[in-house]
Amino acid sequence: MIIKPEDIPGDIRRGADVAIIGSGAGGGPIAKELAEAGYSIVVMEEGGYFTREDFDFRQDHAFLRLYRDAGQCVTLGLPVIVMPQGKTVGGTTTVNSGTCLRIPRHVLKRWHLEHGLRDITEEELGLLYGSVEEYLFVKRADPEVVGKNALMFLESSERLGYSGGFLPRNAKDCEGYGVCAYGCPSGAKQSVNVSYMPDADKAGADIYTRCRAERILVRSGRAVGVRGRFMDPRTGRKTHRIEVEASVVVLAGGALQTPSLLMHNRLCLSSGRVGENLSIHPCGALIALMDEPMHNPKGIPQSTYVDEFAPDGIMLEGVTLPPSVFAISLPWVGRRHAEVVSQYPYCGTFGSMICEHDSAGKVVAGPSARQPLTLYNLGPEDLDRMKRSILLMAEIWFAAGAKRAYTPIDGFKEITGPRDLGRLARTRLKRANVYGLSAYHPMGTCSMGTDPEWSVVKSSGETWEVENLYICDASILPTSLGVNPQLTIMALSMRTAGFIDDRLCEGSFDRQCASRIERLKGRLRAEKESIARRLSGDGTTPNR
Amino acid sequence: MKNYFLERLRRLTPIFIQPSEVLPPADPDQVAEFSREFFLSGTPAFRLLYYALILVLQGLSLLTRGKSVYSLTSDEADDFIRSLSSSRLAAISAIPTLLGMPIYMAHYNRDDIQVPLGFDIFSQREEAAKREVKR
Repeated sequence: MIIKPEDIPGDIRRGADVAIIGSGAGGGPIAKELAEAGYSIVVMEEGGYFTREDFDFRQDHAFLRLYRDAGQCVTLGLPVIVMPQGKTVGGTTTVNSGTCLRIPRHVLKRWHLEHGLRDITEEELGLLYGSVEEYLFVKRADPEVVGKNALMFLESSERLGYSGGFLPRNAKDCEGYGVCAYGCPSGAKQSVNVSYMPDADKAGADIYTRCRAERILVRSGRAVGVRGRFMDPRTGRKTHRIEVEASVVVLAGGALQTPSLLMHNRLCLSSGRVGENLSIHPCGALIALMDEPMHNPKGIPQSTYVDEFAPDGIMLEGVTLPPSVFAISLPWVGRRHAEVVSQYPYCGTFGSMICEHDSAGKVVAGPSARQPLTLYNLGPEDLDRMKRSILLMAEIWFAAGAKRAYTPIDGFKEITGPRDLGRLARTRLKRANVYGLSAYHPMGTCSMGTDPEWSVVKSSGETWEVENLYICDASILPTSLGVNPQLTIMALSMRTAGFIDDRLCEGSFDRQCASRIERLKGRLRAEKESIARRLSGDGTTPNR
Repeated sequence: MKNYFLERLRRLTPIFIQPSEVLPPADPDQVAEFSREFFLSGTPAFRLLYYALILVLQGLSLLTRGKSVYSLTSDEADDFIRSLSSSRLAAISAIPTLLGMPIYMAHYNRDDIQVPLGFDIFSQREEAAKREVKR
């Protein structure tokens, strides 16, 4: 059952097999898996529950309802970077673009070599990815609905000889309304709020919304429950209390909230790694003024990519902006701002994502558990990479016929052609010269590994220090992925669900590892058959 | 948001949103109403920073223009915030950008603003309502 605060008459004290904190890419799959396996599950989600009827295309409503701190989360450092995160049932998957990419092979190899995570094998991950992809209808974006912006950029990049293509997404029958980041109004995007959570609900899980976990209960080195408070949706004030006694506690609040909760509970701190090792994907956007209407924001905002420079840590991924976000992205104010906003119908946009090399960040405890501070400085190499990505996008847009381009770089707010590009290429940027950057995909702040002195969790997701306390979100990823992480988080979440299942059945670790792959193969077969049956009517293939 | 700052925000709105030939004029009350909710849902740190920036803007206006930012003519006000925006000091150039954020977000979210910009929010909403994708 999905339970809202108004449905709750008073304080709650109850039991469950598993208490899960967070309902995003980590918490959703684990809730469904374990609920379907017959365990009693309680999910505590800080945000509210919204359905497609609530998603009205309005960006202001989305920021106020679906985003943590109304989208005001920033990193502290140089430059200041906006880092929006979802706070609703489904977590950030409700407001992301739906891109589903597997972990690049070289990153997994690095996990094996540098972090000793050899038991996360390619074979096992392949099966987990396959299962998640089938379940979420992951397939390449349909060129018919990606929109003019995406097609024009991709065609231009192909003419320049750059490799790229259409991104795989978790969307079924997407019509490209262009508002993925504000809640999918048709329910096409298979975010956790329309997939894993409803299925967990059907399987008997209780999902408490607007319920903030505050205290992880630990007895004799073992997690035994969670204590939290409900929040009034209008005032944000605390209302009733909830205490859940559970055999297993799963932390799935994301790479910023999870370490913060651990720090405020003084748990798992002996390695000194909680909150450290933060990696994010800093992103820039380039706006190009074209000769023809671009029909913004119609189309799939993030549907195409250019990966020619992915080995150098630069990935270009599509983005379209609705008017209000376009307006706040511009580097002008007053009259000039009004002039450029009036060009909105003729503007193309594209985004770049940097896989960090020399940037550093961490999460430290803030004034309260829900408001951690994110410290982050963009390193000089990554700053240079950001500049190169802007140059690359400008080159592609100019090749597509752009008259001018608007960049997030001071001194180059408006560039008009190759001469400006050359000047920008020769300029050595300072961090303060770049503004309007955003970042997504925080990872790594409770990293997994094989050494308790250098990691917070084992490869099973269980913390080294507290038995039966598992972490299951982007915080356990030991390095940056360089690609959108939701699919990997979901796959690892399913993996952890297997370990929890075994723990609750008291299986030994060796037996767990041996039997897990066989179980997964069986599951994948069953899932494929079930989806094929469901889709047999409309002829859609769920494969990528 | 404190009434004092809401009132300042109302008065800053026409400075940030200059009249446009194709779009309806700014509505300071709508901007203030959205900003109130925006700051209520947001972080206290950002709210305090915003209050401080309103005061800093006024201080800079008194210092450089010799009069209150609220009494500058439209041309003077535009020139003033443009000069701040193009400052080589990031701490100065960020002031109008940050102050403009809730103002622009509120204004350009209006349905009657989005439609002339080509985002036909009404027909999209209607179409999406008719089209439910089921798993």
